Amino acid sequence: MTTVSDPVDDFTKRFMGEPMGDPPPQPGVRLTEQQLRARRARSIAIALALGAFVIVIFLVTIVRLGGNVLTRPM
Amino acid sequence: MSLTVARVEPSIAGVGDYIELMKPRVMSLVVFTALVGLLVAPGHVHPVIGMTALLCIAVGAGAAGALNMSYDADIDALMARTAGRPVPRGRITAGEAAGFGMTLAAFSVVTLGLLVNWVAAAMLGFTIFFYVVIYTMWLKRSTPQNIVIGGAAGALPPMIGWAAVTGSTAVEPVLLFLIIFFWTPPHFWALSLYRTDDYARAGVPMLPVVAGDRETRRHILIYTLLLAPLGVTPWLFGYAGSTYGVAAAVVGAIMIALALRVRAERSGHTASKQMFAFSILYLFLLFAMLLVDRTSGLLFGHIAL
Repeated sequence: MTTVSDPVDDFTKRFMGEPMGDPPPQPGVRLTEQQLRARRARSIAIALALGAFVIVIFLVTIVRLGGNVLTRPM
Repeated sequence: MSLTVARVEPSIAGVGDYIELMKPRVMSLVVFTALVGLLVAPGHVHPVIGMTALLCIAVGAGAAGALNMSYDADIDALMARTAGRPVPRGRITAGEAAGFGMTLAAFSVVTLGLLVNWVAAAMLGFTIFFYVVIYTMWLKRSTPQNIVIGGAAGALPPMIGWAAVTGSTAVEPVLLFLIIFFWTPPHFWALSLYRTDDYARAGVPMLPVVAGDRETRRHILIYTLLLAPLGVTPWLFGYAGSTYGVAAAVVGAIMIALALRVRAERSGHTASKQMFAFSILYLFLLFAMLLVDRTSGLLFGHIAL
């Protein structure tokens, strides 16, 4: 479940001030624990996939270049 | 004036949901048949290039699966076999699945083209297009011949594997294509015989829904009678040894025997369930035997190290 701040409320609070005694509410979407865990797992999976992609590109480059990998113009 | 703001619930989909979206069981069969195509092809390919080709083919198959699940979410929700998929279950939206599938499709085809060769990449791109657009979007909901023609998509991986090594195609990979092409209808029709209610509820015009049980059983037998000799052709054409030929004839005969039992069955679905289960083993055995026959004693011998 998520909470989305009301733009009218935000405007009122910004220019009219907060009512005394109430803690200021945090604006924006707040994720639940489950959503945060799922997002973290997806982020790790994307990082691993990108890492694997970089390794594949590196290995294929080495294979394609072969011994020429050490040959460079001076 | 009222202002409507679309509120999108943040995703709770885990990594497992995305893996499920890629149809891992279908992907394993695709990878296996592509591996056989790659290993029986003449010529040399470095193991790193070969592994890269297989990885791209696997990801491409996964992309096709995700795009299929994105488009078919409405009918998947109506069938017991597919209702638990991530999109109908509400774990992933159809749009997220489509975006995931498109990204993987583009990455797999371009990577295969840049790192291996563009013939194999074009074939992979065509396979994804055929499965998603021709089969999923068009044939599946419009004709009982859906899995006959759509089966071409599942039959192409050995040709892609072959093309990854040779940069072209030949008669042998076409034979492998034909084996899978003629294997697909009896395999899926055997399944659809005991899932008829599911397909009817979803409005998918599978053969048992449109033409009835009896006609489907007849079609299973006809296609199996075409499939069994095709399974032996790699030996008849001189691409495989007699060990393969004998083994292919034996498993082909078992397939025909099962198809005859399916044809004779009047009530219940015992024979069609046996046919469905054995058809998976049949394809696996055929390709495994071809692999062993062609690479016997020197499994990776023709790959330049």
